[in-house]
Amino acid sequence: MDELMKKFENYKEDILEIKRPKDRRIFVRIKTDNFKKFLSRLIEDLDLRHLSTITGVDMGQEMEVLYHFSYKYSVEITIGVKVPKSSPKVPTITDLIPGSIFYEQEIHDLLGIVFEGHPNPGPLIVPEGWPEGVYPLRKEYTVQELNRIARGGK
Amino acid sequence: MVLHEIFGVFVYPGMALLFGLAFLYEWIDRKFFARVQNRIGPLYTGPSGILQPVADFLKLLSKEDIVPESCEKPIFSVIPIVYATLPLIALFVIPITGSALISFEGDIIFLMFISALITLSVFLAGWSSAGSFSRIGSIRSALQMLSYEIPFGLALIGPAISAHSLSLTKIAQWQAANSSWFLWLQPIGFAVVLISLLAELELVPFDIPEAETEIVAGWLTEYGGRRLALFRLGKDLELVMASTLVASLYLGGAQPLFFIPPVLILIIKSVVVLLLISFVRALFARFRIDQMTSGMWTYLLPLMIVQILLVQLGIGG
Amino acid sequence: MSYGTTIKVPFGPQHPALKEPEYFLFEVDGDIVVKVTPRIGYVHRGVEKAFEQETYLHNLYLAERICGICSHAHSTCYTQTVEGLVPLEIPPRAVYIRLIMAELERLHSHSLWVGIAAHEAGFDTLFMYLWRDREMIMDLMEEISGNRVTHAINTIGGVRRDITGEQATKIKKFMDKFEGNVKEYMKVLETEQTFLKRTKDVGILKPRDAIALCAVGPTLRASGIKSDVRADDPYLAYGEIPFNVITHDGCDIYARTIVRCEEMIESANIIKYALDHMPEGKIKVPPPRTIAPNESVGRVEAPRGELIHYARSNGTNKPERYKVRAPTLGNLASVCQTLIGAHVADIPLILAGIDPCFSCMDRVIITKKGE
Repeated sequence: MDELMKKFENYKEDILEIKRPKDRRIFVRIKTDNFKKFLSRLIEDLDLRHLSTITGVDMGQEMEVLYHFSYKYSVEITIGVKVPKSSPKVPTITDLIPGSIFYEQEIHDLLGIVFEGHPNPGPLIVPEGWPEGVYPLRKEYTVQELNRIARGGK
Repeated sequence: MVLHEIFGVFVYPGMALLFGLAFLYEWIDRKFFARVQNRIGPLYTGPSGILQPVADFLKLLSKEDIVPESCEKPIFSVIPIVYATLPLIALFVIPITGSALISFEGDIIFLMFISALITLSVFLAGWSSAGSFSRIGSIRSALQMLSYEIPFGLALIGPAISAHSLSLTKIAQWQAANSSWFLWLQPIGFAVVLISLLAELELVPFDIPEAETEIVAGWLTEYGGRRLALFRLGKDLELVMASTLVASLYLGGAQPLFFIPPVLILIIKSVVVLLLISFVRALFARFRIDQMTSGMWTYLLPLMIVQILLVQLGIGG
Repeated sequence: MSYGTTIKVPFGPQHPALKEPEYFLFEVDGDIVVKVTPRIGYVHRGVEKAFEQETYLHNLYLAERICGICSHAHSTCYTQTVEGLVPLEIPPRAVYIRLIMAELERLHSHSLWVGIAAHEAGFDTLFMYLWRDREMIMDLMEEISGNRVTHAINTIGGVRRDITGEQATKIKKFMDKFEGNVKEYMKVLETEQTFLKRTKDVGILKPRDAIALCAVGPTLRASGIKSDVRADDPYLAYGEIPFNVITHDGCDIYARTIVRCEEMIESANIIKYALDHMPEGKIKVPPPRTIAPNESVGRVEAPRGELIHYARSNGTNKPERYKVRAPTLGNLASVCQTLIGAHVADIPLILAGIDPCFSCMDRVIITKKGE
């Protein structure tokens, strides 16, 4: 654990914040512009091979994408990156972690975050004929509104 | 004379007896299969649920009749009747009461012809209903027929060679006269005929054409109501046909024994065969079609040829 | 054999091999699958959005209803995540009761799956036997918690019901019997030729692919990789209980079956050990109503693999964001890879191989709240 924390010291210039609330849980917040380079270096360095999932959070003006990596299947390292809501774009990591393909598709369907370079950007979860640009997990959509849309606008 | 024949065809040993046996055998099969699987099986209709197959049949008769839009309507409607009739015809040549209703030299060939026709009607049933699952099922049943038909034919011929007759009745009588069963004389033939009958009846491990988890109900998928009822009846009759055929070919047929009527002897023997079939059905998993065809050609056919060679050399008959 | 062109074979949303609606489009060349495109979401109930509308206590019941089979795994993960937000320590006896329920659930889920696998291969007899035993496990769970499916034994800060000594002896007695039964079924599975023919070398998932595609749970372990959240990231009392992580090098459906069978035996031993070493004491502590801004990740080894929940609180009594990732979604990428090159007749078996639970996987979109 402590060794792991020490390793993160090498990445000081990219890291905004690092927390360790309890054993085997690490939360890292990083800068947006250098995200892909940082991640590929970190994956190489720590041999991060298992991506548990990706979470998207709508924070009002910004959106946060959280990558939950599992270090040796044991330590859950959450890496967060913020993108502006007006143009939510992050580069895909399917080339680094092939297993992230459906997680990225899911986040795109539900929160409208664009993963640039994703091999199959088509819809995965939303039903056929779901209007484009409606992202159910964004805060501006209430449950009533979504119900109305799901019934075809009635 | 005419009255006697009409009675023979419609009542005993004709259709009434055969339908009765068909429902009885389905019940025995279901009940035994359930007990092997640690279930209870049919329970409520009649004593120990013995009338359940009849109830199912009547219920299906009263169901709505659905004909898919895109099917070949004439074939789709005729095939169920053909399918139920064919095993019935086959049963007329099997000596159930000691002598068959129709018996002639060469009725074994006739039987083989009927069994091929049954598979053909299965193929047509699936193909005419034009559903994707039905089509896959019908292709599979045709493929399956290509692989079990030859060993099955050879297994029927083995006893015929020994008994110097192509008539089922005479083969059964030969066994009674020589008081030895072909089960002991030609055991390989017995095993082969059982295995190919499992394939003919589409039972596990060869229920590939109607594999529930892969293609819904295979060639039966689009059928319902009256038509399905006829198919079910046909299947039950096939079960009777298969077990009585094995009983008369390999287990000595309807031999008279003390005061017991020969028909009872045959029924007991064929029930033993039926239990064997249900037991095998409970023991195995389903093969894949390619495994089944290659297995039949590489093991069953050579085995059966060896059996025929042995018979020709004078061993086993 | 190649025909040059491929045929598109739709599979689902309604198909007898799929117990839940899901859609896969296969491109088939002859009898061989060359491409798979999944389309999920047919059983979305909008759970993630619903989490944001309700209080933490209400959400407990919602979490339990994400999945019918691993309901306890979801509610354990939920309580763990929320207790991580507070943070809150729960009494040791409650930890053990949660663990025993989790292992009972694993037993029932694994016996369900092995039965289904046998059924998909056309081996109905084994299916019937396994489901008979499963029924008895369900009865035990009902006796402990009062419910067969959604057990509702977890609550934030502990558990709602205690296990009495009488129940403990009953469970232990049944575990001995069950272990014997499973060993017998394993003997059948290992020797039955028709079953071996259908499952050996079918649905190969190489270890390298399993890691790259982020497979989880028994699927991963059947590819020879030693990974189990219970051992790697011990939660509840798994750190105090000795048990083996089962792996198998077969990488095929057969290996997945054997791994699950051996895990059942392992689970039965865990339950017996836990019942013997259960500490005395109270079973719950009162939780706070509101939770200060924080974030927390909970991981649980559900019967199907790693289950992960992420929660973020905002100082009110409702979560700001709640994310659920069920093991089936984790295994979806690997199963799509496994299906390529398979026979059409093997599709149901391979799909069933990951023990799919599509209701778990689909969670988010519309809730019917207020209607």
